[in-house]
Amino acid sequence: MLATLAIASLIRHRTRTVLAILGVAVSAAMLLDMVMLSSGMRESFRGLLLSQGFQLRLSPRGTLPFDTEATIRGADSLLAVVRARPDVVAASPVLGGQLHFPTQGATVTASALGIEPAVQGDYELVAGRQPGAADEIVANDATLRAIGHVLGDTVHAAAGYDPQLRTYSGERTLRIVGRVRFIYLALDQRAVALPIATLRAMNGPTSADRISLAMVKLRPGADVERERAELHALLPRVTVTSTAQALEQVDQRLSYFRQLAVILGSVSLVVGFLLVTTLVTVSVNERIGEIAVMRAIGVHRWRIVGQILLESSALMLIAAPLGLGLGLATARWLDGILASFPGLPERIDFFLFQPRAAWTALGLLVVSGILAGIYPSWRSASLPIAVTLRQDAVG
Amino acid sequence: MTAIVEVRDLVREYRMGEERVPALRGVTFTVHQTEYVAIVGPSGCGKSTLLNLLGVIDRPTSGTVHIAGERVDQLGDARATEFRLRRIGFVFQRFYLLQALSARENVELPLAEAGMSSGERRTRALELLEYVGLGRRERHRPSQLSGGEQQRVAIARALANRPALLLADEPTGELDARTGAEMIALFERLNRDGTTVVVVTHDEELARAAKRVIHMRDGTIIDDVRADPADRRVEPVGLAPEPHER
Amino acid sequence: MILRLAPLLLLAVALSAAPAQETRSITIDSRLAADAHLRVGDRVVVAAATGEVGDTVVVAAITQRRADPAEIARGEYRVRLHLGQLQSLLGYGDRVDRFAIATRSAGVTGDAVSRINAAAFGFRAHRSSDVAVETSKTFAVVSRFHRAIGTITIVASAIFLLCIMLLKVDERRRDVAALRLIGCSERTIVGSVVLEAAAIAVLGSLFGVVVGGTASFLVNRHYQAVYRTPLRFSIVTGDIVLLAVALALVLGIVAGWLAARRLVRTPPLALFGR
Repeated sequence: MLATLAIASLIRHRTRTVLAILGVAVSAAMLLDMVMLSSGMRESFRGLLLSQGFQLRLSPRGTLPFDTEATIRGADSLLAVVRARPDVVAASPVLGGQLHFPTQGATVTASALGIEPAVQGDYELVAGRQPGAADEIVANDATLRAIGHVLGDTVHAAAGYDPQLRTYSGERTLRIVGRVRFIYLALDQRAVALPIATLRAMNGPTSADRISLAMVKLRPGADVERERAELHALLPRVTVTSTAQALEQVDQRLSYFRQLAVILGSVSLVVGFLLVTTLVTVSVNERIGEIAVMRAIGVHRWRIVGQILLESSALMLIAAPLGLGLGLATARWLDGILASFPGLPERIDFFLFQPRAAWTALGLLVVSGILAGIYPSWRSASLPIAVTLRQDAVG
Repeated sequence: MTAIVEVRDLVREYRMGEERVPALRGVTFTVHQTEYVAIVGPSGCGKSTLLNLLGVIDRPTSGTVHIAGERVDQLGDARATEFRLRRIGFVFQRFYLLQALSARENVELPLAEAGMSSGERRTRALELLEYVGLGRRERHRPSQLSGGEQQRVAIARALANRPALLLADEPTGELDARTGAEMIALFERLNRDGTTVVVVTHDEELARAAKRVIHMRDGTIIDDVRADPADRRVEPVGLAPEPHER
Repeated sequence: MILRLAPLLLLAVALSAAPAQETRSITIDSRLAADAHLRVGDRVVVAAATGEVGDTVVVAAITQRRADPAEIARGEYRVRLHLGQLQSLLGYGDRVDRFAIATRSAGVTGDAVSRINAAAFGFRAHRSSDVAVETSKTFAVVSRFHRAIGTITIVASAIFLLCIMLLKVDERRRDVAALRLIGCSERTIVGSVVLEAAAIAVLGSLFGVVVGGTASFLVNRHYQAVYRTPLRFSIVTGDIVLLAVALALVLGIVAGWLAARRLVRTPPLALFGR
C-alpha cells in the first residue's frame, strides 16, 4: 500500500521526478568518475609494469628507470651476479639511445632500445619476428611511417651523433624484421629495438659494457621485497625498484589526480545528498496536510517515514544505473583528454572501471540519498496533528 | 447504555507568544453508544478543539478523556496512533483524501495499516464504497470526484476498521445544499446502523438531524439538548439499498 | 649558467677538521638544506660518484626553488657550483649543456636566434618561449582536463539549479494562484520570480566566490607543503569571479523563468488543488 503511494506520488509530479533523477544521476556519474580516477592510474600502471612478468627494475643509483641519461657500468658482471641468484628466472638488460635514419630531405631520429631478444620485455611483436642477427632491427609503426619503410626493408641507421663535428660514431645497414608495439612508450613516439651489442658498437666506447636498465623476473612465489633488498645491498651502483615501490613513486607524482578525485567525489556525494534532502523537504512540505491526515486516521509515524523513504529510494535506484552509464561515457571522454599527456605509455588509463569500487561508490550515493530523506520526513511526521490540520486549512 | 465518550473537566490552552489563550475551560459530558451528537457554537467557541481531543490528535492541558473505556488523554504517540486506527473514525471538512490514490485505495489505507491482507481489504473497501453509494467509482481519483463524492469516500475510509466512535468536523462545510442533505442522510443512516456519531457543525440542518445538541460558547458547554425524534427529517438520496432490501 | 648535474653527484657532510685550502663555495636549495640539515657556512664534500675523492666546498647560500611546475613531484635537489669546478668533477672538459642568453630587448631576439643558428656549429638556438611551449604540453593537457571537469560541473550545476528552483517555485503555487486571482499579470509574477532567482543566484555565487577563494588558499597551502614548492596551484582572478557570477546569474534567471512559466500557465484554481 505504501509502495503504491510512494510510486503514485512520484508519477504525480513527473517533471520534478525526472529532474531529480537527472540531478542524482549526474552526481552518481561524477562520483563514479572520481572513484575510477582515484585508483585507475595506479592499477593501470601496475598492470603495465607486470604485463611482461618483470617484478624488479635495476637503474643507476639514485634514479628511476629512464629518468635520466645515466647508465650503469660493468653491466656484464652485474647481470652475471643477478642471474646467479636462485630466485631469478630472467634478467633483461636495456640500453637506451637514439638512432638516426637519413631520409630524403631530413633525418628521422628515433629512440633506440638495445635489448637481448630472448629475454626482452619492452615490446610486443605485431608482425614479423625478433631480431636474430646483429644487423636486424624491429620498429613501431610511428617509426616506419616516418622513415617511409616497411617490414623487410633494409635501412641505413646511425648512432652517436657529435654535434660539434657533425659526425656519427657508428653507422650500419639494418634489416627491419619485425613490426612491434612498445609497451612503455607513447603510441606516437618513434622507437626501434635492436640487439644490445649492435647498439653498443654503434655508440662507440662510451657505451661499452653499459646498460640503462635491467628488468628482473623472479620465479613464482619468490619474496619480491626480500630479493629487492638483497640485490640493493649487493649492488651498490644500482637502485633496485620493485613494482610496489614504482607504484608508490607514481602515486606521489600523480597524487594531485588522486586528491582531486577525492575532493570532487566528496563534493558529488554532498551535492547528491543536498539535492535529495531539498527534494524530500519540499515534497513533504507540500503534503504536510496529507501527512497529518494519515497520522489522524492512524498511520504510524515510522510508516509515513518509510513511505517517504521509499520515494527517495525509488529515485536513487532509478538514477544510479543512469549515472553509471553517464559516468562511463564521461570517463571515456576525460580519459581521452589525459591520454594525450606527452610520453604517456599507450596502455595507461587514468579512468579504470573496477566493478567493486564502482558499486561501492554508487551504493554509497544511494544510501546517502535515502538517509537524506530521513530527517525531513521524520520532522513532518512528528508535527502536531491538530495544529497542522488547522494551518493547512487556513493556508 | 454504555458510555463511549467520557470527558471530565477538560481544559485546553494555547500559547500565543507570552499570552495563554484558553480554547476549552473545563468541559464535562458523556456520549453513550449509538448516540448521534452535534456540537454547535459560534466560531472560536472551542468545538473543533474539543473534537480534536476526542479524536486523540491533540492533548488537553488538563482533564480526562475516556473513549470506549480507555483513558486517552495521556497516551504516547504510538499508542495514540494505534487507538485512532482501530477505535476512531475521523471525517474532515476538507475531505483530505490522498490525491495520488484512487477512491478504493484511499479506503484501503487504514485497513492496510491495520495489517489486513490485500484481498480482504479490497473486499472490505468495495463493500464500504457500495455502502456510501460509490461502488462504481472505486477507480476514480479524488480529482475526478465531486465534493460530495469525496466526502463519502472520506466517510468510507473513516469506517474502515469499524470504529467505536465516528467524529466529523464540519462534514458539510465544503458542500452545496443538496450534497449536504445527502451527507446528513448518510450520517443518519450510519447512526441507525449502530455507529456512535459526534459532529461539529455550523450547519443547522445537520444539527437538527442529530439526536442531541451540545451548545458551546467561549470554551464551555452552555446547553445540552436531547432532540425530539418527531422534529427530525430524513431524506435518503442516492444511497445503496440496505442489504435486506436487495 | 647551470649545468644539469649527473645523477651520481652526491653530497656528504664532511667533518669540520677538513683541510682549509682554497675552499670554493656552492649554493644549495632549501629542500636539500632541510633534508640534510645543512646551514650556510657548513663544509661538505662533492663528488661525481660514491667512493671518489671529490672537493671540499662551503655552503655559501641556501636558495629558494622557483615556482616551476615541471619540478613538481620530482625529488631532486639543486646545487650550484662554479662552472669550472663542476666540469672538473664530472670530467666534462670544456663543455656545457646549454647557454642562456638575454637580449637587449624582445624585439631583437628573433634576429639573434637567426644569426646564431646561421653561424652555429654543433648547436642550435631556440627562443625560451618556444621551449616553454614544448615543455608545457603536459600542463596544456592538465588545463584541458580542468576545463572538461569545469564543463561537467557547470552542466551538473545547471541541472541541480533547475531542479531546486522548480521545487522552490512550486512550493509557492498557492501564493502564485492568489496573485493571479487578485489580478496580477503573468508578466508581473514571472518577473518577480525571475528577480528573486537572480538575487539568489548572485548572492549564492558571491558566497561561492568566498568558498572558492578559501578553498584556493587551502589548496595552495596544502600542495606547497606537500611538494615543497612556492608554485601557486590555484589562482582566483577577477575574470574568474566575473565569469562565475555571470554564469550563475544566467543559469538562475533561466531556471527561475522556466519554473515560473510552468506555474503561470496552470489555471489558478488548479494551483489551489481544485
